[in-house]
Amino acid sequence: MTFALQSGLFFRRKLRETLRQPVWIITGLSTPLLYLALFEPLLRSVAGGNGLPAGHVLDVFVPGILTLMAFGAGMGAGWVVIWELDSGVIERLRVTPASRLALLLGTVLRDVAMFVVPGIVVIGIAVGFGFSAHWAGLALLFGLLALFTAACSATSSALGIGLKQIGSLAAVVTGVQLPLTLLSGILLPLSLGPDWLRALGHLNPMYYTVQAARGLAAGAITTSAVGTGFLVTGAATALALWWGTRSYHRAMT
Amino acid sequence: MPPTQSPPVAIQAHGLRKSFRVRNEAVEAVSGLDLTVTAGQIFGFLGPNGAGKTTTLRILTTLLPADEGEAFVAGADVMRSPQQVRRRIGYVGQLGGADASATGLENLLLQARLYGLTAADAASRAKELIGLFDLGAFAGRVVRSYSGGQRRRLEVALGILHDPQVLFLDEPTTGLDPQNRANLWNHVRQLRDSGTTVFLTTHYLDEADQLSDRLAIIDRGHVIAEGTPARLKQRYSGDTIIITPADLPASLLSLEDDLAAVPFIRTARIEDGSIRLSVTDATRSMAAVFSMLAEKGIDVRAASLAQPSLDDVFLHETGRSLRDAGETAGGLATTQQAGEQVAA
Repeated sequence: MTFALQSGLFFRRKLRETLRQPVWIITGLSTPLLYLALFEPLLRSVAGGNGLPAGHVLDVFVPGILTLMAFGAGMGAGWVVIWELDSGVIERLRVTPASRLALLLGTVLRDVAMFVVPGIVVIGIAVGFGFSAHWAGLALLFGLLALFTAACSATSSALGIGLKQIGSLAAVVTGVQLPLTLLSGILLPLSLGPDWLRALGHLNPMYYTVQAARGLAAGAITTSAVGTGFLVTGAATALALWWGTRSYHRAMT
Repeated sequence: MPPTQSPPVAIQAHGLRKSFRVRNEAVEAVSGLDLTVTAGQIFGFLGPNGAGKTTTLRILTTLLPADEGEAFVAGADVMRSPQQVRRRIGYVGQLGGADASATGLENLLLQARLYGLTAADAASRAKELIGLFDLGAFAGRVVRSYSGGQRRRLEVALGILHDPQVLFLDEPTTGLDPQNRANLWNHVRQLRDSGTTVFLTTHYLDEADQLSDRLAIIDRGHVIAEGTPARLKQRYSGDTIIITPADLPASLLSLEDDLAAVPFIRTARIEDGSIRLSVTDATRSMAAVFSMLAEKGIDVRAASLAQPSLDDVFLHETGRSLRDAGETAGGLATTQQAGEQVAA
């Protein structure tokens, strides 16, 4: 009860922080819309072509765009954590009896909200451009990507607390971003690549999230890819939350 | 070792040790620290930068686990029941800790809810503190726009919001102008008068001297002296008299020896045309010195009494001046040279 209350208090605190800086909301929305506007014409010619799934170009790329949005919404958490460490906010909150997991969840839930709301806008616009929506699949897709956002957010917070320096965090995040996203087939399916690339992809947990996301967007709910996706993403989220909470227990400037 | 009942003990630490790894080398920040703080006092923790003050404070406030030793704060074991300690203490860190992107009021309300107050109770408590710390004019603005003094007041308000038994303040007046500093000192004294134990670290000599009821001087991770400011100064330095003669005789060395032989005088030194005497009893030695100087035909132009300072205590214990011992010496206050002027 106290825990839920505290999580809610921390969530509202973080949400207010975001709403006071409209720049975040604008970039959170404009980036996916730019993807839609600029990528869609470029990819129209390749859709349904060699190695690519059949269907409308948006049916293939919207799940990838949503996954990228979830990644971006989560991975920003570490920057604010470092700033909060430096200004003593975390130290002050750590001396109160507040739960450390609740403290972490405040940021995690805000990031999930910052994925879900723009994500719904993107779906609305994509439907207008010819994306065929399977509503039950989409609902599950948002659930899956909410978990994925949570995993990214908690990981980013843990990294921020551990690394303490904005520069180091930026280096690590941009360093893992390319291999992680490329090897998940987020924009271009890995089925286009050679065997060794596909083998590498299977080692990347994000690959299973993207595979499940593609299936769910197409309305294929009861496939093993979806099951595996939820399992891997759920496990990654649990692990990241544990790591993030542990980091908050020891956070020190 | 549980805290004893009378007199009530607010903080008790025994054999605290903590080391950090710096470039693969273990650096001991706190090395075998013992501490007893009686409830209801302002306890000063004075030492140069890097002496281990903040590390000790972080151990006592449950932020950092000690490598060795034990500590009890407000009747609870810091290592074994940190949650109990957290409920009973307040903490205002060196970095402040107010949330810059929230308003002062939002900061207060959140803090209150975290200590379990209902929304209604939190609102009335926040209102009370806004009045007490005179935050009304800016409580609705985001903290980012506050001046240093406004921000510090809010942060102290956050620290005492839940009426803690023990309040920890880490270098609370660093960066404050003299007016805000005096204002904060008043708040700290009021808290003590209402029964709160205040534990504050400082590297300002005058702050430790004037604000603390009792103080400990820390250097290189352990306590080197402890007591009331008055007794510490008395014990280690005695009084200092400075006499400026109209002109000094040629045989300075023999004058120093003669003066040192006068009762109540410990040491005599002549520097910069003045005679500096360390005495055990200023009033009684003064008469003796005057008559001796008169015998020798030395006219006294001025004589003044310099109070010993806590720096003398530090100097006595470590062989270094507190002002030189820290990494940054700029913030340290000067010793109180201005004593009573005695007309010659």
